[in-house]
Amino acid sequence: MKNKKAELIISVLILAAAPLVKAQIKSSENESRWVKWGKADYSYEIKDSFAQRDFSFDEKNPGRFVLKSLLNTYWYFISDVDGDNCSFNPTCSEFFLRSVKMTNIAQGTLMFFDRFTRDMDILGKIGHYPYASNGYFYDPPSLYTLNKNKIIYMPPSAVVSNE
Amino acid sequence: MKVYLKYFLPLFLFAASFKMPGQDALHSQFDYAKSLYDKEDYYDAVTEFKRLLFFDAGNKFGYTANEYIGMSYKMGGKFSDAIRYFVYSEINAANFDELFTAKINIVRANILRRTTDRALDLLDSMHVQKKFSSKTGDVYYWKGWAYIFADRWDKAAESFSKTDSSRTLEELCRKVERERYSVPFAEIISHFIPGAGQFYTGHYLSGLLSLGWNVLWGYLTISAFNAGRTFDGVMIANFLWLRFYNGNLQNSSKFAEEENIKISNRALNYLQYNYSGTKP
Amino acid sequence: MRKAFLIVLLIFSTSLPQDKKPGDSLNLFSPPNIKKFADYLFCQGDYLRAAGEYENYLKTNYNDTVEFKIAVSLCSMDKYSEAAGRFADIPPASALYQLSKLEFLKTYFLKGSLTEYRAKYSAAGIKSGFRYSNEAESLYNFSYLLNDGPLPDKNKFLASYMGSDRDSAIKFYNWKEDPPHKSALAAALMSAVIPGLGKFYTHEYWDGVFAFLSTGILGYLSYSDFKADHNFRGWLFAGLAAGFYGGNIYGSAASAQLFNAKVNFDFTNMLKNFLSLRNYFIPNINFCR
Repeated sequence: MKNKKAELIISVLILAAAPLVKAQIKSSENESRWVKWGKADYSYEIKDSFAQRDFSFDEKNPGRFVLKSLLNTYWYFISDVDGDNCSFNPTCSEFFLRSVKMTNIAQGTLMFFDRFTRDMDILGKIGHYPYASNGYFYDPPSLYTLNKNKIIYMPPSAVVSNE
Repeated sequence: MKVYLKYFLPLFLFAASFKMPGQDALHSQFDYAKSLYDKEDYYDAVTEFKRLLFFDAGNKFGYTANEYIGMSYKMGGKFSDAIRYFVYSEINAANFDELFTAKINIVRANILRRTTDRALDLLDSMHVQKKFSSKTGDVYYWKGWAYIFADRWDKAAESFSKTDSSRTLEELCRKVERERYSVPFAEIISHFIPGAGQFYTGHYLSGLLSLGWNVLWGYLTISAFNAGRTFDGVMIANFLWLRFYNGNLQNSSKFAEEENIKISNRALNYLQYNYSGTKP
Repeated sequence: MRKAFLIVLLIFSTSLPQDKKPGDSLNLFSPPNIKKFADYLFCQGDYLRAAGEYENYLKTNYNDTVEFKIAVSLCSMDKYSEAAGRFADIPPASALYQLSKLEFLKTYFLKGSLTEYRAKYSAAGIKSGFRYSNEAESLYNFSYLLNDGPLPDKNKFLASYMGSDRDSAIKFYNWKEDPPHKSALAAALMSAVIPGLGKFYTHEYWDGVFAFLSTGILGYLSYSDFKADHNFRGWLFAGLAAGFYGGNIYGSAASAQLFNAKVNFDFTNMLKNFLSLRNYFIPNINFCR
């Protein structure tokens, strides 16, 4: 009697698991579909490479909220109308913001001053930094936090596409 | 004698029929590969057409199979591979029609790959060759498409006007050309009145900001010079006025370019999804 | 008569399918033909399709070379885990068994996790009675050049290398023993004494010049403004000068770290190029002659 019950439970479990197994098979099929390939989504449209500002706010931290508000104001009223003066990607102001986010306000400020000095150096940039896909020099703050493990070195011949 | 005939004729026919399965194998392989292509299973279609070519010792399918491989790659968005196989099909073309189709296939894949210069070079060389004189209309038609993908709508309209049956495309191109903003014009008017180019492209707020900053720094520069503070005047003019003046020029052309891309993309989107004629 | 006919028919029916020309009465999906096609794809470098065809072949026939070539195809497509599994499947009776062990270890080496690779190496039992123990050890030793752990003893390290490999191994070992790194602390201290000097030390000459100029000019402006009793401007420029001064000290330290990262990157690249050219010390078999 007990055995029969156990059998019943097991068979119900197997039945219940069947769709899962099926789904597993299906997903592996999809994977092989992906390695192989079918029709591609190709767009006639031109991709524009104009950089878009991220005006969103970081609401959780009051310090960062103030910083981002100041930065947004600076971007809107000054940076966007005073021309393309920064040859880096991310731009100097964005580098500052990200540096502060990665470290703290004091270290972020030091990182910004160093970046600003390197930006003023109009003679040593070419052949020194890799390019971002939008044609600017790629120079992320992660290289300058003094944390060796965060440094992902890229040679000047590289073109970085994810920024 | 009759008896021999009675037995050996069927035997001969039977033996002769053994020659057929090989041909049949290739033909049924072709049908199989094509059925995969028709099912949009392009990866496997390429495999099967490659298999067909590998065993096709007599090169009977040299043109067709390579063309299908090219088409499959093209449908999979792999245009460079597609072009390679269209070139193989061109090499194997047996008659004028096949040669022309192969050439146009290469052009079309180049258009989609956006190597439109290459497409236009190929089309130009076809113009010069006498054997393609009967196909002038087609050549102009694809030239039009190449110019569309090169974002040269005026040239595209001109090319379509030289064909007999592309009035809709010609008109679309002319319309786009009319809608587009002139980048040099936007920049020139911003030279005289900062922000004017931005107004021209509909970016009023940015235009006002540019105008405001330029008036402010201009005023401060002039008043510094008037008050005899030459150093301050030079500093403000150099580091502030010039900076915002340049920014104004850059924005005027940038906005015009951005708007033009939007206009082109609207037309390209229409062509991709709503236009029913032959497309690249 | 009937007998004669039957005999002739028998002869015809057995001989005809055999002396066909290629392309005639073919079965494109017969195992030998699948293999032929797969070999063609393999030699064309179309590894994904080749592997698929070889798999089809294995459904009806077993062939260790085919199994081996599937693994090679997978490895060429950077599918290291799958490739390792296939290499491990080659049975001890196969002529390719010893070689596949080497290839198996190579895939783990390429996969990236050196600890995993070393564990597999230890588990493989290379030392005793293995034909390629020298080759396997050569690659194993190189794994110590690719991370920051302690280096093995020099003589022990070099034992497995012969000829020009030995010269290269010595060169790489010496570099790793004493890499031409810059000290972040030294860079910072130098820039603290003379702004920009630390950047000279890390070979960022122009950055050093501009750091010196920006700090110097702003410092001078601050000094002259204080002298002329323009206190606000004096403090403003003093603050900016201090910012550039501090930023440069910080930046010099960061620049030393970046310099080291670059030097390491170049070293690793050189090493990987060397290994790839040497085929990871694996004897080369050319399947596509």
